[in-house]
This record gives sequence, C-alpha cells and structure tokens, in this order.
Amino acid sequence: MKLLSSTLLLLSLSFSAVADENKSAKAWLERLSSSLKSLNFSTSFVVIKNNQAQPYHWFHGTDETNAKQLEIISSLNGPRRDILRIGDIVSYIQPESPPYSVTSKQISGPIPAILSGDITQLESGYDFISVGRSRILGRPAQLIRIEAKKAYRYAYWLWLDQKSGMLLKLSIVTKKGQQLEQIQFTHLEVSQKLSETLLQLQSTELPVIVDIPQEYQQQKLQWQVNWLPEGFKQINSNRHKISLTKQPVEFMLFSDGLVDISIYVNGTQDKQRDADFVMDGATVVLNQVNKGIEVSVVGKIPSQTAKAIADSITIMPPKAP
Amino acid sequence: MSENKFETVSSCVDNYQHNESTFDDIINDEHLSATWDRYHLIGDVLRNDTPDIFQLDLSAEIASAIADEPTILAPKTSNVFALKFKAKIVELAKPFGQLAIAASAAGLMVLGVQTNVAQNNDTILPSQIVQTIPMAGIAEPVSLNFQQPDRATQKQAYIEQQRRFYALLSDHQQQIKLGSLAVNVVDNATENTETDIKKVDEHNK
Repeated sequence: MKLLSSTLLLLSLSFSAVADENKSAKAWLERLSSSLKSLNFSTSFVVIKNNQAQPYHWFHGTDETNAKQLEIISSLNGPRRDILRIGDIVSYIQPESPPYSVTSKQISGPIPAILSGDITQLESGYDFISVGRSRILGRPAQLIRIEAKKAYRYAYWLWLDQKSGMLLKLSIVTKKGQQLEQIQFTHLEVSQKLSETLLQLQSTELPVIVDIPQEYQQQKLQWQVNWLPEGFKQINSNRHKISLTKQPVEFMLFSDGLVDISIYVNGTQDKQRDADFVMDGATVVLNQVNKGIEVSVVGKIPSQTAKAIADSITIMPPKAP
Repeated sequence: MSENKFETVSSCVDNYQHNESTFDDIINDEHLSATWDRYHLIGDVLRNDTPDIFQLDLSAEIASAIADEPTILAPKTSNVFALKFKAKIVELAKPFGQLAIAASAAGLMVLGVQTNVAQNNDTILPSQIVQTIPMAGIAEPVSLNFQQPDRATQKQAYIEQQRRFYALLSDHQQQIKLGSLAVNVVDNATENTETDIKKVDEHNK
C-alpha cells in the first residue's frame, strides 16, 4: 500500500514535471510574443537557405502617443524590399509590383508572424518542448522546439534570449533533424526610446491601401481538397492570374497558423505530367498534371505531404442549373 | 741399344732432339711408339693435363669404326654440275617465295583494310546520330527529324517548368501577404456560413 502510494506520488510528480516543462516552453513562447509586440528593438539577421545568406534589418517600436506599433523589415542585398508597418497598415515595397498597403496586424516576411501572435493556435498541430540552454549571439539562450505532432510538417527550433525573451535564432528542421532554413540574428539592441529610423517612419505617408472585397477572397470553386494535415484552415479561395506567367488559376490558401499552403488548379494543354518539385529552403513547389488538370502545391511542408494534398484534390462535376 | 732407344724417345718427348730419322724410327717401331705414348701420358699426368674421361686407345677405336663403315659406291659427279643445279633451284624457288610473301602480305593488307573499314563504319554511325550532321542518304533525315525536336522540346520543357516553379513561388508569397489580412475576415465569414447552415437546418426541421 505504501509502495503503491509512493509510486503514484512519483508518477504524479514526473507528470507534473513534464507538464511544467511544456508550460514553461509555452511560457517562453508567450514571453517571445509579448517581447516582439512591446519592446523597442533594432536587430540584424541573416536568412540562410539554398547555401545563400540574405541579410535583413529589423526595427520595431511602439509610438507612445497613440500606442501604435511601428515596424520596418528591409532586405539589405539585391533590389530593395522593404516592409513598413504603422499600426494595422502594412506596406510592401518590392521590385515586382508598385508599392501597396494592406490592412493587417502582422507582417508577412521572413519571421513567422505567429511568433508575435497567439501561440495557442499551434497547440493542435505542434508540441512545445523546452530543450536546454546554449550560447547564441554571445548571450545565454533557451532552446524551445515547436515539434510537429506528425511527420506531415517540419519542426521549428527557436533560441530565445534569456534576458529579453527575444528571438536569437530560428531553424526549420525535418523530422530526421536536417536543417532546411535558418535565421541567425547577428545584432540585437533593446532600447527605451524609439530608434531614429522609426521616428522617420512615423511621419511617412504609406502607399494606398489595396481594398480586397470579401467576396473576391471567398469564391466557390469547382474542386475540393479532401486531405490536409490536421489544423489547417482555409483562408482564401479565389480566381486570379499568376503575375509572371499570366496563367489564370483557381486558388486556395490554407494555414495552420505557422505554415501557409497555396493550392493552384488550372486546365492545361498537357494531358499528363508526373509530379515534379523544387525546394527553396523549406518551401516546396510541387506541380503535376492529371487528366488535363494541372495542380500545384506550394508551402513549407515536406514534398510527400504536398504530393498527398495534390492527389487528394477532386474536381466536382458542374451542377445542372 | 734398347736402353739407348728409350733415352732418345724420352729426349724426343722433351723436345731435346729434332732428328727426323729418330722420329721415323720411333713411329715405325711398335714398341717404341707405345713407349712414346706412355711417356706423353706420364708427362700429361705430371702436368695435370689429363682429360676427365680416359680414352687410352682412341686411335684403335677410330680405326675399327672406320673399318665397320660400309663402302659408299656413288658415281663421281662434277662440282660444276652440282652448283648449276643448286642455282637453278634457287632461281625457281626465289620468285615463287617472293610471290607467296607478296600474296600473303596483300592478304593481310586486305584483311586490315577490311577491318579498318568495319571499324570506321562503327564509329561513323553513332557520331552521325549524336552530332546530327546532315548527310546525303535516306535514313539520316528521319533520325534528324526525330532527334532534334525531341531534345529541343525537352530543354524547353525544363525551362518552362523552372519558370512555372518560380512563378508559383512568388505568387504564393504574394498571396500570403494579401491573405494575412483576410484571417479576421474569414473568421467572420465562417461564422456567417455556420449561422446560415443553422438557419437551413432549422428551416428543414
């Protein structure tokens, strides 16, 4: 009896220890989210993928007068790519299109937007694991893994600054532990006051906001996706032309909060083409033609997952009026 | 006298006497010649000149061997005739042999040329296919027409595919930027559809 009670006690202790660890991992991620939202910081980082390093500057701060968040992410190599944000307006300045703004609370850039958002969204598809400490950017850092529950997705490993809770390093890793993409911070400065660049942004007039009607993003399409990994929700479904090829496509966008999957369906002159894919870091682009219907899947998912999604698509017969 | 004779034989063996008559005497006298033989043998043994195998009476053996041989009865031919005959044979044989050599060499050459031709044919054919050199003939244009567009379309298909991939990748990034704003909107929309479905359900009831 005594033995039983003691083992029970031990078990409960170990369970609570695991729960504590998970809780602390989640607490770390929540701390990261609040740091990314509230701190005034100026950082540099490099995105390493395909054996290339792309450097960025990232400034963030909060305007004290109207509590609006100010943010700039700019690519330092090659043609200018800047993302500016004042409150709920995000502007994209890029070479392939005239500058435009959208209404959004988050920047869609190299840093996953969810990290500054609500992390609980990810709990259905991922486990949060606190792994251990190491030294990153000359600081003591805590490694938190966002591990996919099933092999359909990649894991995200985050190294967080123990002092400020800021992101110091991020790796996208396969289930086997192979690194596909890495974001390494090379400089981090947390300050009390807004940086000079952000003060300038305050007075900048942002490009015109593109207004996308709700109906446009929620069109009924004559096909459906029958399989997706758990936790993915449909964000958009529309018809548009791919800007580079002028190819009209039917499009659906899905997201699990961390990963976005684009699915394109269009008719083609080719009768049949086997699935073919390329990898851009962790992003897979898969394309196949089956019975004159071309299906493409793009997203930060393993190629097998992309293939399974592409194969699950069925075309619905047109309804008789 | 006999004592004297042995001395002269000894002196002759030692090259002290060079009298022709005494030599003749020694050769003619059987006893003395035997003594001459013996003295030489003694001298050879003393000087260590003896051969390994002793043939003490070689001359007798040879003489008996000659006596055993049958007497050859052949017509006496003149040397001149033999020479002429030999020359004639050589004259006949020489051109014949040369011809034979020439013929075999020619045969080798024919063989060699033929194999060379065969090899050339082997190497020419694939190079024609690979390089698709337009040549006079019937078969080549067919292979040309078949080969060239195939490779060209393959390359074009590859470029096309790469372009398609790049276009899809950039469109994906573009759609995420536009899509991120719709997150809140979609939440409302799904709520709407849900309420719609409820209404429909109620209506069906």
